Amino acid sequence: MRFKHLLIAISASSFAPSAFAQASGPGGSPGSDTIDVGTVTVTAIGTTKNVRKIGYAVSQVQGKGLVSSGESGVIQALTGKASNVQITRSTGDPGSGAYIQIRGQNTITGSNQPLIVVDGIPVSNSSLGGGVDGVVQQSRLNDLNPSDIESVEVLKGAAAAAVWGTRAANGVIVITTKKGKRGMSIEFSSTYAIDQVNREYEKQGTFGQGAGGRWVANNANSWGDRIALRSGSDSINAAGARFVADDGTVYGTIVRKGDRTVYNDKNREQVFRNGITWNNNLSISSGNDKSNMFFSLSDWNQQGIMKGLSDYRRTTARLNFTQNINDKLTVGLNASMAKIISNRVQMGSNLDGLYLGYLRTAPDFDNSDHKGTYYSAAGVPKFNAHRGYRRYLGDAAPTYNNPGWTLNEQTNTSDVSRFILTPEVTYKWRENQKLIARLGHDMSTDRRITYFPVNSAANQANGAFTDDNIQESESSLHFINQGNHKLSSDINLNTTFGYLYTYKNFYNIGGTASQFIIRDQDRFAFINSTTENKDPFNSFSELINNRVYGILDFDIKDKIFLQLTGASEASSTYADRFFSPSASLAYELTKDVKPSNLLSYAKLRLSAGRVGVAPPAYIWNTNYVAAGSSSGWGDYLDGSLYGGSIYRSSTQGNPDIKPEMKTETEIGADLKFFKNKLSLGFTYYQNKIEGAVLAIAVANSTGYANQWKNAADLSNKGFEVDMNLSLIKSDNFNLNLYGNLGTNRNMVDNLNGAAPIFLAGFTGTSSRAVEGHAMGALWGGKFAKDENGKMILDADGFPTASAEEGVIGDPNPSWRGSVGLNGNYKNLNFNLLVETCQGNQMWAGTYGVLNNFGVTPETATEFTVSAADAANIVDYRGVTLATAAAAGANGLASVNADGSITARGSLKDFGSGNVWLNQYWYTSLGGGFGSVAEQFIKDASWTRIRELSLSYALPKSWSDAVHIPGGISVGFTGRNLALWTKFEGLDPETNLTGVSNGRGLDYFNNPGTKSYLFNIKFNL
Amino acid sequence: MKKISYILSFALALSVGFTSCKKDIKEINKNNPGQFSDSDPTLMISGAQLANVLVNEGEAARLAGIFSGHHVGWDRQFVSYNDYVMTAGDFNTPWGNLYTEGIAQCRIIRAKAAKANNKQLNAVACITEANLLLTASALWGDIPDSEACTEGISSPKFDKMSDVHMHAIALLDSALSYGANHANFSGAYVGNHNWAQVANTLKARAYLRMKDYTKASAAATSGIAAGKDLLADHSQATPGAWNLYYDFLDWNRAGYISASGSHMQKLLDSSSFFRNNAKTDESDRYAYYFLEDYYTPLDPNIDNGIFAATNNFAIVSYVENQLILAECAIRNSDFNAALTHLNNVRADNATNIGGQYDAYVSADFGPGQMVPGTDANEAIKKEILVEKYTSLYGQIEPWCDLRRTNNLIGVVPNKGTKLPQRFLVPQEEINANKNAPAAGDLFAPLELFP
Repeated sequence: MRFKHLLIAISASSFAPSAFAQASGPGGSPGSDTIDVGTVTVTAIGTTKNVRKIGYAVSQVQGKGLVSSGESGVIQALTGKASNVQITRSTGDPGSGAYIQIRGQNTITGSNQPLIVVDGIPVSNSSLGGGVDGVVQQSRLNDLNPSDIESVEVLKGAAAAAVWGTRAANGVIVITTKKGKRGMSIEFSSTYAIDQVNREYEKQGTFGQGAGGRWVANNANSWGDRIALRSGSDSINAAGARFVADDGTVYGTIVRKGDRTVYNDKNREQVFRNGITWNNNLSISSGNDKSNMFFSLSDWNQQGIMKGLSDYRRTTARLNFTQNINDKLTVGLNASMAKIISNRVQMGSNLDGLYLGYLRTAPDFDNSDHKGTYYSAAGVPKFNAHRGYRRYLGDAAPTYNNPGWTLNEQTNTSDVSRFILTPEVTYKWRENQKLIARLGHDMSTDRRITYFPVNSAANQANGAFTDDNIQESESSLHFINQGNHKLSSDINLNTTFGYLYTYKNFYNIGGTASQFIIRDQDRFAFINSTTENKDPFNSFSELINNRVYGILDFDIKDKIFLQLTGASEASSTYADRFFSPSASLAYELTKDVKPSNLLSYAKLRLSAGRVGVAPPAYIWNTNYVAAGSSSGWGDYLDGSLYGGSIYRSSTQGNPDIKPEMKTETEIGADLKFFKNKLSLGFTYYQNKIEGAVLAIAVANSTGYANQWKNAADLSNKGFEVDMNLSLIKSDNFNLNLYGNLGTNRNMVDNLNGAAPIFLAGFTGTSSRAVEGHAMGALWGGKFAKDENGKMILDADGFPTASAEEGVIGDPNPSWRGSVGLNGNYKNLNFNLLVETCQGNQMWAGTYGVLNNFGVTPETATEFTVSAADAANIVDYRGVTLATAAAAGANGLASVNADGSITARGSLKDFGSGNVWLNQYWYTSLGGGFGSVAEQFIKDASWTRIRELSLSYALPKSWSDAVHIPGGISVGFTGRNLALWTKFEGLDPETNLTGVSNGRGLDYFNNPGTKSYLFNIKFNL
Repeated sequence: MKKISYILSFALALSVGFTSCKKDIKEINKNNPGQFSDSDPTLMISGAQLANVLVNEGEAARLAGIFSGHHVGWDRQFVSYNDYVMTAGDFNTPWGNLYTEGIAQCRIIRAKAAKANNKQLNAVACITEANLLLTASALWGDIPDSEACTEGISSPKFDKMSDVHMHAIALLDSALSYGANHANFSGAYVGNHNWAQVANTLKARAYLRMKDYTKASAAATSGIAAGKDLLADHSQATPGAWNLYYDFLDWNRAGYISASGSHMQKLLDSSSFFRNNAKTDESDRYAYYFLEDYYTPLDPNIDNGIFAATNNFAIVSYVENQLILAECAIRNSDFNAALTHLNNVRADNATNIGGQYDAYVSADFGPGQMVPGTDANEAIKKEILVEKYTSLYGQIEPWCDLRRTNNLIGVVPNKGTKLPQRFLVPQEEINANKNAPAAGDLFAPLELFP
C-alpha cells in the first residue's frame, strides 16, 4: 500500500509545474494538490525558508526536471529552466563542460561562474583548460549524479547571496541532495540513449584538390580541377612509392588524377556514429522517527557521436544519513563519490584536431585507411605511417591529421576521482535556539593524459606525451546558530549568526616528453624521450577565507518580511576586511487588499545588497619568471635550454589590490490571477561592479605587457519574467503552459584608459572587454571605409582592409526565453520545452577558413559571361576572366564553344562594377585567413525544441504480474530535436574556449548533438 | 548531556586551531610559491638576448623578408601579407618581444650591473639593448626610447628615428668604454665572437643607415673579423632551441612561406637576373638556400641548408661588416678599397658555402663587362648591394638597404609600384599609449629612409 502511494506521488510530481523553475511565488502552483514543494526554498547557507517570506528573486528547479532533461550534467540540465540563467555547453563531446551565466558578467578576467553550494558547503565547479586548441574539458559540478538531487535554487541577486560576500558576485547555485523519506522504497531506472550530430557543414563536390584550377597532390586547398571532367581512374606509377594500409589496401603514386569519385559521404561515415548511452540508477530510501537514509548508485556510460575514442563514464555512489540521537541532538553525514573516466577528442585550432582535418579534406580524397606502411620507390618501409590528404602516401607526417588518426590513434584521457563529505551536528541548546556545526571536504583529482603517436601531424610528428595530474580541494568549517524571538504579538524575529572558514588548495604536477626514442610502441612513459625533450611542470596555490555573518529576519504581522544581513570577511588575497550588507523586503499585498477573482495573490519585493569578487592569489608582487620568447606562430626560444634564465615578468604586481565591489538593487512582484490559475513573477534589477580586478594591457613600451589593477567598472541591468498558467485541470487531464524570459544589458563602463582587454581567441579575432561595449565584444579587422561608411575599393574594385582593428560583434543575446507545455492525461505525463536565444553574434571562424580552402558550396558555384564581359572582369590578382580561361585550367575558367566563358566562383559588385570572386579572393582578403574578420561575424540566434518527454505508468495489474509491487513506468525524452538558426554548419550553442570569459568564438569546434532517450523505471 | 558539551568544546577548539591567527592569512598569498621575487642580472642577460634573436630571426625578419623579396607569403595569412595587406594587430608580438623581453630587461640588467660594478655584464647589456633599439627603429622608425621602460611613465613618447640611432650609438660607445674585448655573457650565442667587434659593426650599421659613411667606415674598421660572427645558438636539436625559420616552416607552419618566385630566387636561379659569370657560380649557394618541391615549389632550405634545424643564425656578421666597408668606400669614391672588401666577401662565400667566387678585378666592372653598369663605380655599388642582399638571406638589414637606397637593386613589388617602407604601429600600443601615433601607412617612408 505504501509503495502505491509513493508511486502516485512520484508520477504526479514528475512533470508537475513545480518540477520547473518558478519565481519566488507562494509556491501554491496550479497543481498544488500534488507535492507542494514550492512553499519552501533553500537559502544561501543551506537552511530552509518559506518562499512567501522572501524579498528577492529565486528560481527553484526540482531534481525531477533535471533528470527528465536527459543530460548527463547538472549544469546542462538547468538550461531553459530559469530566467536569466544562461547555460552554454562548450561542445557536444560527451561530458563536456558548460558555462553558467546568471544576470550577465560581473568581472572581466576573474571567474564569471556562480558559487556552488551543495548541502550547505561550497564545492568546486572548476573547468580547467579551455584554450583555442586541445580538448574540451569537463565542469566539476557535472560530477554530481542528477538523480541524487532534490532541488536546485538559483540565487541571482546580491541580496540573496550576500552572506557569501566575495564569492557571491556571480550568484549562488544551492543544491540540496535527497534525504530518506518515511518508509522504504527502492527505485531502479535504466535509460538507453542515442545521440546524433545535430548540425553539419556542407561541402562542395564539384572541384578537386589543388590550386589554380588544377589537381595538385597533397595541396591544402580544393581549388583544383573539375572532377567530372576527369578520365575515370587514376594513373599510377607501378614503380613508384606506395602506401599499404593495415588491411592490405594499396595506394600508389598518382601520375595523373583520373578518379571521379566524390568521397564527402564516405569521409563523413569515417567520423560520425550514433552515440550510445546506458544510464543505470539505483536508489534506496528509508526513514522513521529517529533516522532517515538515502543511498544511491549510478553508472552513466556514454559513447560520443565521434567514431573513435570519445566517451564518458561516470560512476557515483551516495549515502545521506541523519540520526536524531535525542530531542536535542541530531547528527548526519552526506557522503558522495564519483569516478569519471573519459576519452576526449582533439579540436579547435589544432592541426591534430578532428574537425580541422576532416572539414578541410578535399572532396576527391578518400580518408579511409589512415594508418599503414609506406614503401619508397626503392622498397624501403616506414611503419606506422599516417596517410592524409596532405600526404597521400604517408611518406612523412601529413600537415593535418587524417580524422581517422585523430579519433583512433591519439589518446586524451581524463580520470577523475571526486569525494564530497559533509558531516553535520545540530544541537538545540534552548527551545528557540539551535546550533549547527558542519564540516565540509570536497576533493577531486584528475589525471589527464595527452598522447600523440609518432607521425601525428605537424609539430607532434616525432611523438609527444603529457601526463598532467590536478588535485583540488576545499575544506570548510561552518557554524550556524539559529534563534527565534517573539518581539511582540505582531513581530517575530529569526536570527542567524554564522562563522565560516574555508581553505582551498590547488596542486598540479606533470610533465611532457616529446621526440620519442622508440617510435612504434605506445607507452605513457617519460623514459621514451631524451633528457632535453622532457619538461616537468608543477604549480601550487592556496587560499584562506573566513567570515562572520548575521541575518535578521523580521516577520511583521505575517505580511511584511524584512531581512537584514551583514557579512564581514578576511581573505588571504587582499589586505582589508570586506563587508557585505544586504536588505530585502517582501510585502504581501493581498493581506491588506482582499483577493478578488482576478487577483488572487500579490507580493511585492524590494532588495539591495553588496557583494564582491576576491582578487586572484599571488598578484601582489612582480615576479621573476623563466625567460623565453615566442612569435605567436608556435616558434619559440626557451631560456631553460640556454643555461637557464630568470628575468622580470611582463606582468606588474600590485600590493594595493582590493576586492571588486558589486552593488545591486532589485524590485519585483509575484502575482497570481484567476484563482491561482495564472502565476507571474517579475523582477527588474540593476547592478554596478566597481574596481574589477584585471591585468590590464599596458603599452609594451613601458616594459610591461600587463599590470594588475582595480581597473574597470561594469554594469548590468535586466528584466525577468516567470510564468505559469493552468489551462486544464481535472482528475484525468492536466495541462499547464509555463515559460520564462530574461534580458540583460551588460556594459563595460570604464576601463580607466586601459586598452581593450583580450579575453580569448586569436591574434586576428578575439573576444574582448572594450569600454562602451558589452563584455566579450568580438574584436578584429574591418574593411576600410570612408567617412560616409562606403567601402574604400582598390583599383580593381575589390575592398581593402582597414589598418586598425575594432569591435565587430557582440556575443551577448539581447534576450532569452523559453516556453513549455506540460501535464498528464491519466497515466501519461508529458513535457515540451522550447527555448530561444536572440540577438547574439558569433565569429564563424570555421566557415571563413573553409572558404579559404575552397570547400564550402559558396566557393564552388559557377557562372557564365560573354567574351566581351570576360575581357573586363578581373579577379583579386587583377587577371581578367578571359586571360584566366586562356590558361586552360578547367577548374578555374574555361571557354565554351560559343566563345562565352564559364568560371568557378561568383560575380560581385562591391561598388565599382562586377569583380570575380575566386581562389585568389578567398585565399586572401575574402577568406578566413585574411585580415578582415568582420565579414564572418554572423547572427547566432537560435530557437530549439530543448526537450520533449513522455512517461507512462504501466497499469498496476501488469506490474503486479511481474512482481514489481511499486509499479513500472516507461518514458521517452527527445533532446534538441529541432534547431532553427541562421548560423551555418554548427549548433551555435558552443564556445571554442570553453568555460572562459571570452565568448562567441567558433573555430573547428567539435559539433553539438541531439538525443533520443528511452527509460524504464521500477519501484520495488 | 555532559558528553555533548565535551563534543562541542572539542569542535570549538578544533575550529580555533583550524583558523589560527590572522597573520597567517596575510602571509600565504604574498609570494607565489612557483615564481621568484628577484633574479641576479647575470641570469637575466641570456633571456634578453633570446628576445633579440627572436626578433631578428623570427616574425619581424619573416615580414621584413616578404617586404624585401627574400620570401614569398604562400599560404594562409601570409598570402595577404604577400599582397601587403596588413593590419596594426599583425605587429603586436615582435613589438612586445622587443620591449618587455628585451629592452626592459637590458635596462634592469644595466642598473644592477652598475650597482655591482660588473662592467663586462654592463657592456653586454648595452650592446644587446643597442641591437634591439636599432632593429626596432629600422622596422618602425620613430619608437619610444628615452621614456620607454621607465617606472611611472605609462605613455612613453615616441622619439625620432635619428635620435634612437644616436642613443644606440651612445650605448655602444659606453659598452666599448666598459671594456668589451671578451665573449662573456653570451648565453644565447655560440661561436668565436668578440663583443667589442660586435659593438663596432652595430655602430657601423647605425651610421650607414644615417648615411654617415665616414663614421660607418671608421667603426667597421674595428668590426667583426672573419670567423667571428655573432651567431644565435641553435646547436641543440630540440624545440625551443631550433633555428626559428626551421621551427616556423617545418614544425609549425609548413608551407606558409615559400621562396618560389622571390627576388632571391631570380638572383640565384637561371632567370633574368642570373648572376653566374666566368668568375661566379652561384649553384652551391642556390642549393644551400633553397629546397625544391618540399612544401611548395621552392622552399627556403630548412632541411640541409641555411635554415636547417640546428643551423646557427647570424645576428651580426663579418660579411655585413665587409660590405658596409665596401659600400662606404665606393660612396667615398675609393674603388679599390671597395673591390678589396667585396672580394673578401666572395672569398668567404667560397669557403663557407662553396661554389665559385673568384676575385674580381677593376676591369670586370662597367658597360659590357662581367658586372655591367653605366660605369665601373655604379656597377660595383650595385654589386655590393646585391651581394649584401643575397648574403644576408633571412635577415632584416637588406630591407633597410632597399629603403635607404631607394631600391637601387630593383626589387619588383608584389603589388603596386612601391615596396613597403615600414611596419605599422602595433594595435596594442595604439590602444594603451596616449602618445602613440596612428597605425600609419605601410608605404609612408621613414625619417632615415626618405
